[in-house]
Amino acid sequence: AGDGAGRKRKSRWADDEPKPAYQLPDFMGGIEFDPEVQSLNSRLLEISRKLQSGLPLDDRPEGARSPSPEPVYDNMGIRINTREYRAREKLNRERQEIISQIIKKNPAFKPPADYRPPKLHK
Amino acid sequence: MVIEASGFNLLGGTLPTSATTENPTKILCLNQVVTIDELRDDNEYEEILEDMRDECAKFGDLTTIIIPRPDMEGKLIPGVGKVFLEYADTVSCSNAKNMLGGRKFGGNTVTADYYPEDKFYSADYSG
Repeated sequence: AGDGAGRKRKSRWADDEPKPAYQLPDFMGGIEFDPEVQSLNSRLLEISRKLQSGLPLDDRPEGARSPSPEPVYDNMGIRINTREYRAREKLNRERQEIISQIIKKNPAFKPPADYRPPKLHK
Repeated sequence: MVIEASGFNLLGGTLPTSATTENPTKILCLNQVVTIDELRDDNEYEEILEDMRDECAKFGDLTTIIIPRPDMEGKLIPGVGKVFLEYADTVSCSNAKNMLGGRKFGGNTVTADYYPEDKFYSADYSG
């Protein structure tokens, strides 16, 4: 059955492999040099540096700040949403967002260990 | 092809044999092509024969294909796993050698060597 004359079984011979061309590896002249990815990368670096520096994150002068939200306290009576805390959260959100964008452009990008992909239903 | 060295030839006309050039024959031996298990199966054997015939005839006038098969008792038969191709002339054979060596057959990388004609014609496939 199925042994008809027109049957074309695939030959065991692999296709004659073309001799490996001498070409630059993918990352050369590839996505890494995409100006958009480059600017994302440098912003990511900047944020990471800020977060690790220990310096005040919100260094805007008093007059330039927007009004603070209502204070939130934890059960020890310590304010949670300090200016510093909110600035850190904001940078963290931006950082995650940038990493998502880089991954979208370059699936081979290795995100840092603490990166959590955004949940779709959010 | 005879290469004549111009000028003095102190060796009295014999060509230097420094480079171990293989003697081209009309017989090509493909090594590490098929497994004993594949050869035991009649259908697979037929398919292998067909694949060989189709591909190897592309390089010249292919006159004979010998694919030694294992016997039913599982005794070791010389040449099992190899495929012997006889071409009508050495040019075709050398063409096939160039084209088939390094190619993959069923996942195995094939090596191709000339095989002595006298051995082939006396059905000696021991390599």
